Amino acid sequence: MRLITHNMLQCHVRGCNANNFPLELQEVVLEQEEAEMNEDFLRNMLGKLEYDALVATCHKLDINDLPVTLPEDAQYNEEFLQILHRIILETHVKSGKMVCPNCNHTYSIRDGIPNMLLAEHEV
Amino acid sequence: MPRFLIQFAQQHEEFRLPELEALATIENVQMTYNPDEYSLASPFLVVEVDSAENAASLLKRAILVKTIIELWGIGSSWDELIENVKKHPENWPQYLDTTFKFSVVTFGGTIEMKDKPEIINRFAFTGFMGKIDLKNPEEEFLLIADYGIDPNVTVAHTFYMGRLIGQGKRDLIDKFNVKKRQYIGNTTMDAELSLIMANQALCGPGKLVYDPFVGTGSFLVTCAHFGAMTMGSDIDGRQIRGKGKTSIRSNCEQYDLKGRVLDTLVFDVCHAPWRKINGGIFDAIVTDPPYGVRAGAKTLGRKDPSKQASEPRIAVEHGVFSHLLPDYIPPTKPYEMTEVVADLLMFAVKTLVRGGRLVYWLPTVTEDYTIDDLPSHPCMELISNCEQAFGQWSRRLITMEKVKEWDGEATLGPPTGDMNKSTMAPKQQGHFGFRDRYFSFGVVDNAKRKKELKDAFQKGGVEGVAAYMKQREEEKKQQQQQQDQQE
Repeated sequence: MRLITHNMLQCHVRGCNANNFPLELQEVVLEQEEAEMNEDFLRNMLGKLEYDALVATCHKLDINDLPVTLPEDAQYNEEFLQILHRIILETHVKSGKMVCPNCNHTYSIRDGIPNMLLAEHEV
Repeated sequence: MPRFLIQFAQQHEEFRLPELEALATIENVQMTYNPDEYSLASPFLVVEVDSAENAASLLKRAILVKTIIELWGIGSSWDELIENVKKHPENWPQYLDTTFKFSVVTFGGTIEMKDKPEIINRFAFTGFMGKIDLKNPEEEFLLIADYGIDPNVTVAHTFYMGRLIGQGKRDLIDKFNVKKRQYIGNTTMDAELSLIMANQALCGPGKLVYDPFVGTGSFLVTCAHFGAMTMGSDIDGRQIRGKGKTSIRSNCEQYDLKGRVLDTLVFDVCHAPWRKINGGIFDAIVTDPPYGVRAGAKTLGRKDPSKQASEPRIAVEHGVFSHLLPDYIPPTKPYEMTEVVADLLMFAVKTLVRGGRLVYWLPTVTEDYTIDDLPSHPCMELISNCEQAFGQWSRRLITMEKVKEWDGEATLGPPTGDMNKSTMAPKQQGHFGFRDRYFSFGVVDNAKRKKELKDAFQKGGVEGVAAYMKQREEEKKQQQQQQDQQE
């Protein structure tokens, strides 16, 4: 699972509607895998990302390359887009878990595939 | 405006114009044609496009377009064609010195090799002086004789002449051929249709495309091939993980698309964990919902609601909550086709960006289908509806575009059909209870055959049965012939 995907996921247990994002990554194994740079895509995603949540998540993973606030010229800031690319598209969570800060539900990640299925009583 | 002749592939006919329109949209090409001139029974269509460059751009990713030529003339005979080509000598001078070749091409008939040079020589009036190069000419000129699809017709009815602009990308069908793909399942969509769907969805660089019933991931790779970033999810994680060394991931490696197929996740699209993003997340949703013929659709929950647990269950033998066990799989219940489609449409309304497209398959029982069966929503505009027929049932490729933001309230369109006019049982949609009805086609047929066989035996004994079988054979043959002709 890439960090871009993590930024789009929230806890969806029945009744868990507040403080359910971002899911806290725990016991993760990370892997870097090179991918072609795609500026159009990054620009498309800039408005969709929750930037503060991304920075906070990265800090917990000890990735401190992102500026704390989104640069005003982010769309055309080459250097920034490169960093963003490396973090949200080239950093993979191979295994670990995601824990909801509100209800503590734990979603596991195995072989890079997050299991977001709910249990019977959570539907 | 310059005129161009498009030669489509003579298959998936209903999909050809919608794909062409999508290609024009993707490439931002102004294209006009007379819809009355288009027929499913012919591969040819004359279009007007402002330049040859723009006509060529339509070919960049065309699956159902075989060739485009810059049209220099049409006629109902070679003589008339030549007369018409001669009316526009302004077309010729710029090719006077290029290397070139002429080719004679036919559709629905044949012209013998030995007769072709004579036809070509009749076009010597163009006065081209460049070298003839049969292997790598700078320009190729086509002489096309169209005999039509009726196999009994032995004379061509329309003749075209023009300069070849280029070929479509039908070679991609071979590249993505499922027979050569490492990981497939029994519901994997064939390559040609997967590629067409990627075009219908306007997939391209910079876009995010999602398949909520990802299965073995056909659309992830075809949409990514055209430059989009793709994601998929499925309630069945086994499909995603695959078997042994083959999986969606290995397919991405096979096609060198690992960088564009972003992620696959396990969840039920009825309980999707996507964060709400104002203005939408996905630029397109491309999917083949499991319509229950080979793999029934499932959603989380229990068939019997009274057995549905509201508190965590304890796994007795382990002494812990069962949902915390590593191999826990929550219970699922059947997911009726009409619900699947209604939910999918609502999901698209909520998660697509404005201008984003939903491209999905809808199976229908042919005799019950009406256009009113299509679920509608005020935010979604129907772009195209193409049928792939299989006799008693068919599936339709539906393309919709989100044309306005959702206000958070508007729901699916009102019940359709003539439910209010009739005192009879309300009409069901042509995809209602699709699975059960699909399987009953065969059963009804078999019961009928058995009864007929019995009658034949009672009437004429063994000989009666033989006569009946012979009659059946002939009926089958006739049906086959009719089908072949239609194709």
